[in-house]
Amino acid sequence: MNRILLVEDDEVMPKIIARILPEPEYHVDVAVNGKEAMQKLEDNNYQYDLVITDIMMPYANGFEILSKVKTHNQEHPIPVIIVSNAGNEDMIMEGFKLGVDDFLKKPIIPAELIIRVKRLLMKK
Amino acid sequence: MIGIIFENFVFVYGLAMLFIYALLALLSNIGVRLFKKRSHYTDYSLLLDSPLTPGISVIAPAFNEGVTIISNVRSLLTLNYTRFEVIIINDGSTDDTLQKLIDEFQMVEVEFAYNERIITRPVRKFFKSTNSAYDKLLVIDKVNGKSKADASNAGINAAAFDYFLCTDVDCILEKDTLSRMIHPFLNEYQNKTKEVGEPCPECGYVHIVEDSTRVIASGATLRIANSSEVDEGVMVRVRPPSRYLPRFQEMEYIRAYVLGKMGWSMINSVPNVSGGLGLFDKEIAIKAGGYDHQSFAEDMDIVTRMCGYMLDNHMKYAIRYIPTTQCWTEGPPNLKVFSRQRTRWGRGLAEIITIHRRLLFNPRYKQLGMVVLPYNLLFEFLAPIIEALGLVSIVWLVLTGQINWPYARILLLFVYLYSVMITTLALCWDQLTYPYYKTTKEVFGLTLMAFLEPFIYHPLIVFYALRGYWFFLIGKKTSWGNMQRQGFAPKKPN
Amino acid sequence: METTLSDILQEIRSIYYYAPLAIKIAIIFIFIAVTATVLAYLVMLRSRYRNFRQNRLLRKMLPIMDDLLINEIITNPNIPQDVVPSKVALNLEPFDALPLHRRWAREMLTARIIHYRNNVSGSAGDLLRNLYLQLDLDKDAMRKLKSRHWNRKVEALTEFTLMDMPISDVTILPLANSRNRELRAAARQAYIKLSKNEPFKFFDSVTDPLLPWDQVELFRIITTTTDIAIPNFARWITYSSNKSVVSFCMKLVVHFNQLAAVPAIIRLLENRDHVLRADAIEALGRLKIAEVEDKLVHLYTSQPLFCQIAILKALGRIRSGRHIDFLRNEFLHSTDFDLRKAAARAIVKNEVMARGVIDELLSTTTGENLLILKHCMNPLIKY
Repeated sequence: MNRILLVEDDEVMPKIIARILPEPEYHVDVAVNGKEAMQKLEDNNYQYDLVITDIMMPYANGFEILSKVKTHNQEHPIPVIIVSNAGNEDMIMEGFKLGVDDFLKKPIIPAELIIRVKRLLMKK
Repeated sequence: MIGIIFENFVFVYGLAMLFIYALLALLSNIGVRLFKKRSHYTDYSLLLDSPLTPGISVIAPAFNEGVTIISNVRSLLTLNYTRFEVIIINDGSTDDTLQKLIDEFQMVEVEFAYNERIITRPVRKFFKSTNSAYDKLLVIDKVNGKSKADASNAGINAAAFDYFLCTDVDCILEKDTLSRMIHPFLNEYQNKTKEVGEPCPECGYVHIVEDSTRVIASGATLRIANSSEVDEGVMVRVRPPSRYLPRFQEMEYIRAYVLGKMGWSMINSVPNVSGGLGLFDKEIAIKAGGYDHQSFAEDMDIVTRMCGYMLDNHMKYAIRYIPTTQCWTEGPPNLKVFSRQRTRWGRGLAEIITIHRRLLFNPRYKQLGMVVLPYNLLFEFLAPIIEALGLVSIVWLVLTGQINWPYARILLLFVYLYSVMITTLALCWDQLTYPYYKTTKEVFGLTLMAFLEPFIYHPLIVFYALRGYWFFLIGKKTSWGNMQRQGFAPKKPN
Repeated sequence: METTLSDILQEIRSIYYYAPLAIKIAIIFIFIAVTATVLAYLVMLRSRYRNFRQNRLLRKMLPIMDDLLINEIITNPNIPQDVVPSKVALNLEPFDALPLHRRWAREMLTARIIHYRNNVSGSAGDLLRNLYLQLDLDKDAMRKLKSRHWNRKVEALTEFTLMDMPISDVTILPLANSRNRELRAAARQAYIKLSKNEPFKFFDSVTDPLLPWDQVELFRIITTTTDIAIPNFARWITYSSNKSVVSFCMKLVVHFNQLAAVPAIIRLLENRDHVLRADAIEALGRLKIAEVEDKLVHLYTSQPLFCQIAILKALGRIRSGRHIDFLRNEFLHSTDFDLRKAAARAIVKNEVMARGVIDELLSTTTGENLLILKHCMNPLIKY
């Protein structure tokens, strides 16, 4: 089973992702803001196979979560995908500077997300 | 004889004031409805990924805010916008504000090319984060200048973008504040603009300047945060203050913003953009000289000077307000703090009128000289004086038995009900903008204040305003001098 | 003693009759004030009730709608993969569970479909659009388009644009000439997105300025619509007399990296309008047109400050390394702070080629200039 942490403050995306990445192959844990995401990461001792995060959220933004995830285990960092509706050049650059593995802009193509998720999980 | 003149003057004056309030109520209603219509089809989130989005520098001075600084800065860093930076000016705090920032955000001192276009007290150090997740944050450490104005000026000097949002570290901002407040700058209607210009002495070209309206500032409604639930700088549940004094202020703020400023905004005569939340055109703010660190009403002062600058240079300008609440601020919880704040405002107003008397009733200064300043002189500044005189003359009439009680009662009832009406309308427009409180009971708890205000709250305000004028007249200094926090007194709504 | 309402009215009337003018006015306004206050209360109650009802409905309906949209449309395995999504005949039966005969339900579903289309695209997005059509949800917007109120028309146009609904040119064109500015702007966007003929036609005719906000909206539409042919923007850059169109077209040229339009932009360097010239310089810099560098350097001295800054920035973006001496000179000898900073930044951006100059400057300059140089070299400082 692949444990995925999804950080997203809108309710629609989690519903879609839960459906296209179904149990029991995947387990999607949803955090609705940055604070909750940090909490979940701590509580589960970073035992996630993948993190999918939005950028703009209350308490802590996606970049902060990304940098936290990437600095936690630098030998085998958890792969991170950013899925955001804000995606100008600056933000994409900033994401890659912090080591994001993939950057998808909303609206996403569900099939594409599945492929990218699978590829990152396989690499791991 | 004097009595008759005074009576007639007061009668005309009163009618004019009531007429202006009615006009503002009408104009603000049009404004609120237009805003509602627009918000049905305006997608503010377009600004989140457009390369055309203008950059904004968020400037927030902090003085001894160690307890809350981290969550408040976090809250500013998570504003929903793409091109922005957050500049925190540590105004010589004597507590651990600076150290907390350095530790939490992994900051290091950097050599920063600082261009002191507005003179301030010396700036000591600059800090940037080594973690690029916080690369929007800049912390400036500065010698205390005993005023928010001085700290803000240092922030303006260091700002990288063309627009700056002036706020306080302890203000709670809505996440969409930047996109909503920049919108009026981008959407100011322009007629086909004509080109004006004179030959340039340097190059001989005729420099073409477009004769278009430039939005130089925008503002939004502020509310009192006292009883709302706030979690780490994020507004969780909005409530009207439970205690009477802050609740009166909430009512007053809503009336001043949703009815007052919105109304003035419709005829482009906004007198003041609150120091708690205002978005400004940096170029004009700097050219107008920045904030005056000696002023008791630096927010109104800078707006007046910016308008004056635009008019002196024959440029058309606009200041726009939006009716939605974007900012929550802590209002004075007790009479002691409240009296200090209002006395300061009274003094500030007297000061503004005196400093800018050159513009007053000067037709060259268009709406500024003929509407904004005269209104502030006649109806904001003089009102407390006239009310006090009125009270004295009524007491005298009563004592000498000259009063016609039936008619007096009718007049009093009229004035009372009219004031209740205006306040209720303001609260109504506010509810139409957005249903801020969860329960209807809370709304009516607030409307109750409209009925109590003339007896309890209003006399207080009049008294403190007069005290402020008195301090202004005698040039009293002492009580402010040693009180460092005075610069961070909450923001003025009117 | 009993007083009835009519007694009171009688009393008031007699007071009113004998009162002087001021009192008469006061009495009238007492009535107005009471009425207005009561009305305000009623309006507040009504608006709160409406919000309450709307929220209750949303809480009830949204989960149902979400399930339907996700299970029946987005992830339905029964939808054939080999048919074009817009041609699939959807099974509409499950949607009978929604009270779509009511307008509020249709509006709610439409809003939800639009929200979903902001999150998913590709075939899922097309299927959602297909659903919108098959459920006849476009009829409401069609009606709105004929409304007397301009804001309703704008709402309809926005909906059509978001749903990618073809509308005939004859419907849109009159609106694009409307007297209401916001309606005009919305109609232009709809035209670009939806017109099958010449989507950019209005660039020729528009006379009022495209406001920055219009440009943000247009930019999004032009850059995200996949099936419009992007014309050569040089046409408007050269011939349009509307400056906002010229400046907007340059931004589009940069976005599409349309090198064919470069000569037209270079010609703008002779333009009398400073703002336009600065825009042209910026565009050339972003396009990294190395051939234009000499010309920019040549123009430099005769330009106003903000054009000079634009030139320095452009040299930093082009990064050919051929004008480092010029930049060095500006950095050392300019009196203006912003010019020196822009020059330093441009030098630093020339990285490898400027290595020698940077080392030399670091060891020879002092004071503010050294500070500026270090500021620009510090990777922690972005601006």
